[in-house]
Amino acid sequence: MTRYAMVMDQRRCIGCQSCTVACRTWNDLPLDIIFNPIVTEGVQGIFPDVHASYTPLICMHCDNPPCTICCPTNASQQDEDGIVWVDSSKCMGCKVCVNACPYGARDVSALDPFLKSFVRKCDFCKDRVREGEQPYCVATCHQNARIFGDLDDPNSDVSKLVNGLGVTTIFPELGTEPQVYYIPDLGGAK
Amino acid sequence: MSHAMNNDKLNKHFWVWPIACYLFLGGLGGGILFFAGLFDFIFAPMIGSSIGSVFALGIFIGVAALGIGSFLLVFELGQPFVFLRVFLSKTAIIKWGAVLLSVALIFGFVYFLFYLPPEWNLFYYSWTWIRDICCAVMMVTGICVVLYTGILLSSFKARAFWNTPVLPVLFTASALSTASALLAVTAGLWPAPEFLILGGFAAVPMHDLSEIFVEYLHLIDTVLVAFELVVLLVYVVMMYAAGNNTARKMALQWLRGSFAPLFWGGLVICGLLLPLFFYLSGGVLATIIAPILVLAAGLLLRFMVVFSDVRRPIPGEERFYSRLPKGDETFLFANDSKSH
Ligand code: SF4
Ligand code: SF4
Repeated sequence: MTRYAMVMDQRRCIGCQSCTVACRTWNDLPLDIIFNPIVTEGVQGIFPDVHASYTPLICMHCDNPPCTICCPTNASQQDEDGIVWVDSSKCMGCKVCVNACPYGARDVSALDPFLKSFVRKCDFCKDRVREGEQPYCVATCHQNARIFGDLDDPNSDVSKLVNGLGVTTIFPELGTEPQVYYIPDLGGAK
Repeated sequence: MSHAMNNDKLNKHFWVWPIACYLFLGGLGGGILFFAGLFDFIFAPMIGSSIGSVFALGIFIGVAALGIGSFLLVFELGQPFVFLRVFLSKTAIIKWGAVLLSVALIFGFVYFLFYLPPEWNLFYYSWTWIRDICCAVMMVTGICVVLYTGILLSSFKARAFWNTPVLPVLFTASALSTASALLAVTAGLWPAPEFLILGGFAAVPMHDLSEIFVEYLHLIDTVLVAFELVVLLVYVVMMYAAGNNTARKMALQWLRGSFAPLFWGGLVICGLLLPLFFYLSGGVLATIIAPILVLAAGLLLRFMVVFSDVRRPIPGEERFYSRLPKGDETFLFANDSKSH
């Protein structure tokens, strides 16, 4: 079995947003849609002990996704390998799933033509990864802060990182079982 | 190129006025069908005749409310022509809403057809078994639609201010209260006949009969409004005291922030306390003014709740979204070729 997952190494991310731009280009996104922003709370601490830490976001491809069971048209779906995606031809644009996602990973564009507006979200570049390639954001990250792979393969980078380091997830208490893991930044510690 | 771009995915409202109206109209229509069915079910055996005609106009408005509500729901969709796929889903709450609403609408409408003016003498008037089936079905599906409008919003774990079992209770109380208010103002009006023949012999003036039911409805609505007031306060105070940070912030906005004038002035005072007082004092205040206030408050409540769709921010998200371009920056279109 394959279970795709991503690890965000916050020690490495420098907040350059190359991945954000790459994603827009690869997926040809309208101007008001962003799948994978890099957020930061800004510079923390008092000079000279200052640091900034960046949080790369993306759809968490949850193991227990609240966004698929609520979809009345089955347009939102999860494949065997864990990838959660929207079939745009089946989506009626009711936005139930947008309200259901706790991570803001879904959106509709105001720039879509009238009566042709549907929900867009990251699909881990499923067309690429099923051909053995990396998602475009991962391939773009020059700091190797985004690491992608098969969690069920004990030799993959992601499974070594997830099983070996103290990784965290975002809002684990919601029970969504997000499959994007974070290696926290050292937060200015020496 | 449209400049109405909203990149702030954190504070953006994905559901707006059509959903608020849909929830209001669904609750109102479902409640009307429920009450009309219930009254008929209870009183028809007692007096030996269906009393549906007393509420004929109300039922028509209830059916129309459901129809307009569903129209708004579909009209709000991004790709309305995909709508029929809804019936394929197995799990989605919204699918059950659509099914229940369609059934209530159809059966409510057929039930109403039996109460067109008796002098029209339509051929099916004597098929009372159809009418009785419709009565039962619309009563059950009606109350289910009412419950569904509350459950829908409370099912979103991601939305702190919605995700509480108090919300379905509040919406149910409000829906039933608006429904009884509307039934009370429309009782005995066209297409109700001037006289109702009870048990095949005695003719009772519609006016006298409807007065009895209006009294019942006022009593019911008084209880419902008082109950709703308690639930509303429990809801907001509980969100403030026991909710997470996101819910607490929203509750504060209701209690003394930008929603406060609407909450205290619109909902608590004009929408609940005044009608309560008017119902108890009687007269034209109780028959006309109180129901109108109750209906307005029901709509206002749906709007306020729908617009309280707050999501817990991931640390840093607020800063990120507040800095994104709004869509009217010249640099975004600097390279667009000028069209002739
Ligand atoms: S992050 Fe959101 S969109 Fe992605 S799988 Fe989880 S709930 Fe669904
Ligand atoms: S907006 Fe589309 S994908 Fe989302 S729940 Fe509705 S139909 Fe499904």
